[in-house]
Amino acid sequence: MVVLTMNFKSILSLIIVAFISILTGCNETNILSLSERSIIYCSEGSPETFNPQLSISGTTTDASAKQLYNTLIIYTDKKNTLGPSLAKSWHVTRDGKKITFYLRQDVKFHHTSYFTPTRLFNADDVLFSFNRVLDKKHPFHQVSGGQYPFFQSVNFTDLVEKVEKINDFTVRFILKRNDSSFLANLATDYAVILSEEYGQTLQNKSTPHDIDILPIGTGPFKLKDYRVGSLIRFYRHDAYWQGKAKIEQLVYDISPRETSRLTKLLANECDVSSYPIAHGKITERSDLKLESITSLNVGYFGFNTKKEPFNNKLVRQAISLAINKQVLIDTIYQGQAARAKSILPKTSWAYDSETPELGYDPIRAKSLLEVAGYTQGFTMDLWAMPVQRTYNPNALTMAKLIQADLKKIGVEVKIVSYEWITFLRRLSLGEHQSFLLGWNADHPDPDNFFTPMLSCSSSEKGSNPTFWCNKEFDQLLKNALSTTNISKRKSYYAKAMRIINEEMPLLPIAHSKRFQARGIDVEGNILEDFGGISFYQVTKKPKKIQYEDLLEPGKAEKVSN
Amino acid sequence: MLTFTLRRLSLFIFTMLVLTLLSFSLSFLFPGDTVINHSGQINATATELAQLNKVYQMDKNIFTQYGAYLTHILNGDFGYSMASHSPISIEIIKLLPATIELSLVALFIAMLIGIPLGFIAAINHNKASDNAILSFAMLGYSIPVFWLGLLAILIFSIGLGWLPSAGQISLLFEIEFVTGVQFIDILLSDSPYKWQAFSNASAHIILPACVIALAPATIFIRLSRAAMIEVLAASYIRAAKAKGLSFKQIIFRHAIRNALIQIIRHVGLQFANLVTLAMVTEVIFSWPGIGRWMIESISQRDYTAIQSGLLVLSCFIFIIHILTDFIYAALNPLARGNNHGS
Amino acid sequence: MAREKIYLEEVFPSPFMQLWGIFRKTPVAMVGFCCFIFLIILAIFAPIISPYSPVEGHLDMILLPPAWHTDGNVSYLLGTDELGRDMLSRLMYGTSLTFGLSFIVVIFSLVIGVVIGSLSALTKGIKSSFLNHFLDVILSIPSLLLAIIIVAILGPGIGNTVWAIAIVFIPQFIHITRYAVKEEFRKDYVLASRLDGASNFRILYYSVFPNIVERLMSQATLAQSAAILDIATLGFLGLGAQIPLPEWGAILANGLEHFYIAPWTVYLPGLAILFAVVATNLVGEGIRHALKLRKEN
Repeated sequence: MVVLTMNFKSILSLIIVAFISILTGCNETNILSLSERSIIYCSEGSPETFNPQLSISGTTTDASAKQLYNTLIIYTDKKNTLGPSLAKSWHVTRDGKKITFYLRQDVKFHHTSYFTPTRLFNADDVLFSFNRVLDKKHPFHQVSGGQYPFFQSVNFTDLVEKVEKINDFTVRFILKRNDSSFLANLATDYAVILSEEYGQTLQNKSTPHDIDILPIGTGPFKLKDYRVGSLIRFYRHDAYWQGKAKIEQLVYDISPRETSRLTKLLANECDVSSYPIAHGKITERSDLKLESITSLNVGYFGFNTKKEPFNNKLVRQAISLAINKQVLIDTIYQGQAARAKSILPKTSWAYDSETPELGYDPIRAKSLLEVAGYTQGFTMDLWAMPVQRTYNPNALTMAKLIQADLKKIGVEVKIVSYEWITFLRRLSLGEHQSFLLGWNADHPDPDNFFTPMLSCSSSEKGSNPTFWCNKEFDQLLKNALSTTNISKRKSYYAKAMRIINEEMPLLPIAHSKRFQARGIDVEGNILEDFGGISFYQVTKKPKKIQYEDLLEPGKAEKVSN
Repeated sequence: MLTFTLRRLSLFIFTMLVLTLLSFSLSFLFPGDTVINHSGQINATATELAQLNKVYQMDKNIFTQYGAYLTHILNGDFGYSMASHSPISIEIIKLLPATIELSLVALFIAMLIGIPLGFIAAINHNKASDNAILSFAMLGYSIPVFWLGLLAILIFSIGLGWLPSAGQISLLFEIEFVTGVQFIDILLSDSPYKWQAFSNASAHIILPACVIALAPATIFIRLSRAAMIEVLAASYIRAAKAKGLSFKQIIFRHAIRNALIQIIRHVGLQFANLVTLAMVTEVIFSWPGIGRWMIESISQRDYTAIQSGLLVLSCFIFIIHILTDFIYAALNPLARGNNHGS
Repeated sequence: MAREKIYLEEVFPSPFMQLWGIFRKTPVAMVGFCCFIFLIILAIFAPIISPYSPVEGHLDMILLPPAWHTDGNVSYLLGTDELGRDMLSRLMYGTSLTFGLSFIVVIFSLVIGVVIGSLSALTKGIKSSFLNHFLDVILSIPSLLLAIIIVAILGPGIGNTVWAIAIVFIPQFIHITRYAVKEEFRKDYVLASRLDGASNFRILYYSVFPNIVERLMSQATLAQSAAILDIATLGFLGLGAQIPLPEWGAILANGLEHFYIAPWTVYLPGLAILFAVVATNLVGEGIRHALKLRKEN
């Protein structure tokens, strides 16, 4: 009985202590240390897969590529310069058809609860990763659908004859022809290196699908937990070959609603937020900062050229003429974007200032519609993407503005929107009439704007939802790729842009900056020059220093471009 | 009590049959192929489709089909979500506890605030405080819950920075999923940050639970006020008064007990209302519950998920309904004999 | 024939007029009633009196704050939204959508419910018992949940929302009519008419209805306030009124992304909903209060 009362007393005191600690929130030190060692990133959507080979959606690459994997080579700066990564160095033969990579010998794969690597990274992994894409008979080719949109859109399979293993740490790519964008494509977020040993293990367990759901890579973070629509939890990869990351835990708080992302940022529930809205509100807060990066992208309004009435060129032109782009840019991008004349942004070397731009002319639009036989106008659906991307921070509002513009020429617009993954899936099936989407360049080579977006092969594979296919245009792209002569390439691309602006499979709208907001205690570069984001270099200042910063307002730099 | 139990049990089975029948018929009402709506396998190949048709006995008559559907449900097979392609039963098991937790806490808060206020109003019947409480109650059930939620976030999360605005717990804490009820899971976990997690989770639940609780609390005010007025007018209270008991003694010894029993009868009905409010609130507070999941499923036209979500949610509401009926019957023997319920 | 006028008839007001007499003397209820009438007028005449179109924006006037704000503009009294649409006009049109539709829905379901309810009150036996149980199950599901279910079947849209809510409310009116009619039928004056040889329908029409009309009205106000909240909630969740309809809940959801820079796009529609629901509830409370007083007298 005595023991019992003792127990009761100790339990009671425990409860009281717990209660007090709940009320006062004491033991702050522990919480602080946990939050100091972790970053919460409010991301805009759920990734479809953890293998960037399988998807061209930015959400997927943001959540996988730079966090979980490495590529053979990378871009080292904004110019066209390539640098080493998993490959220490490489060599291209004079005819440009043989490229040899010399691999690093000290790279370890993730060690997780679902896989324990027994060997270091070697040539087999490179072969495994690329053969999965190239070789239709590869045991993993058909796993997860057998679609490799980026590689298909750049005709990778037609280009690469084979990948050879020279020795354990040397690989050679043999190409069928010279292709000036090949190395650039290998440096994109899509050309990641998977683990061959993991593939073998999964095959033995006959759960090959896990390779894209429970990923194993060489990157700075490894996957701990993923709950669709809710969170992704990464742990640090302690044996990372470039030295371990400074933060131990990286959590993606998946918040598709832009307001909820802003709320969480303002309430300090996330450290970094993707695609923030209300820039003014963020800059006026001293504990937050807004940053942006010029990225190569284009937001556009596309037409399904396989469906009535957009199989008619005149209708596409008429609709394009009826849209007041400048208003869209002022409203949607708040002036933070450049009006797109064609699909290439000004910063690209192949940009041609002579390209004629289809202006805003509702009267001509109306007469074109009449010529096309739509005197009474028509009703169309417009698919607005549900997430914010750099190229289009608010597709729904843009759709409403377009709806108003088109009403003036007698065209009724029905706005349609689905959750992101469903949206992309239905789009690739061609259920839509017109859509708002965009393209983020993966590397600075101009071909990245043409072949993946508008070539015939991309329209066959479904990564081009306009389903537009123009033989002349395709030939121009092929010609441009077969030469390394910059001025020749430039003139090919200029011609290609003219074809686009004449045929109007899509109406380019704007080239925008990518924005991101973070608490001022988060330091280190996150936005990468091309494509996605990387948390490898991020650190978190302890809160104490943050207060000192607040005393000196000049130190808190608000917008850094 | 036995007859009462048996009667409730038969009612329970009857209602479950009606509900499954309803959810079964939804597959026919929804656009698209019935068997795909049943199973949620939108990407099924021709052979898989044939297999599904066989499993769900689609070639047989409607009763056999219903039987096949019922067998699936009873085996816990709700099909696959059309949007996420994962088994719905697993998703529901993950999400339902969060909703149960939130709505029970909200119910508790609603009763804790509503019932005493109602009693106070009744005791001060027709006085200023009665009118003030009644006006508050009127305002409380007139306010749209989503708007209230937004205001609460603006004031308490962003303006004052007291309480978090989203989710069940800060994502930094890794709590292993055992029961799904966050507080229990935290106590079961062996995380070194157990108590921080606990306090963090408590901070997270306060705002959404209070927002949900407001409207039901006002109903409880009215119910308890009415019950108390009725009790105070009863003859045994007059008798107690005549015996010379003080007003305080009458209230605490007799009136509250009897008024409470009257209120419990309505808890079940109020709970259904509360769960609906919770569905909307979950959207605003990004609560990882079944309500938010269902509303998302509706906008994504994920028919299989809608169908199963409805079935599970209405079963949950109905079970709570029956439970309160039992509690009421246990407390009030008179109710057991009632043939038609109330 | 002149015989009928022999006795000086005492002027005895109908139950409804008695009720109105009491109702008129409750100031709070009268305020609510005036607001209610105001909303009805607004709902009908919104297209005539609203200053601008609710759908077309003025792109040079984006996110203008209300006129009392220093940056406000008097010609846009309540400011504009992210597309430069006048908030006042949107709220006015919204009155006809949120409030007006809820009113129509309630009247519609009231009529259907009363017809079915009184017919069913006259039936007995197994049919009656089945209906009783069926109604019990339906009524135990909250109206919003049921509306969400029906919208899920019909698909999102304002038309479907209205149907859903009508379907939800009909059982409520059936139930209350059935109950009230049954209760009245037990009373002596009905027996008197019956002994006079009146048919059931005649009794219903001449004796019962005048005595239950205010109970129905009280239920109608409850239904109306629920209907406003349901339409707005469905609109807010994106299941009801679709873009660009100026339904209050949808306006609020639309303003959500500008909550922090343009809070009026969220405050104003919320206040409009609150105002409409409070007005309706005040009328309802007034009726119930008057009913109680009449009973007591």
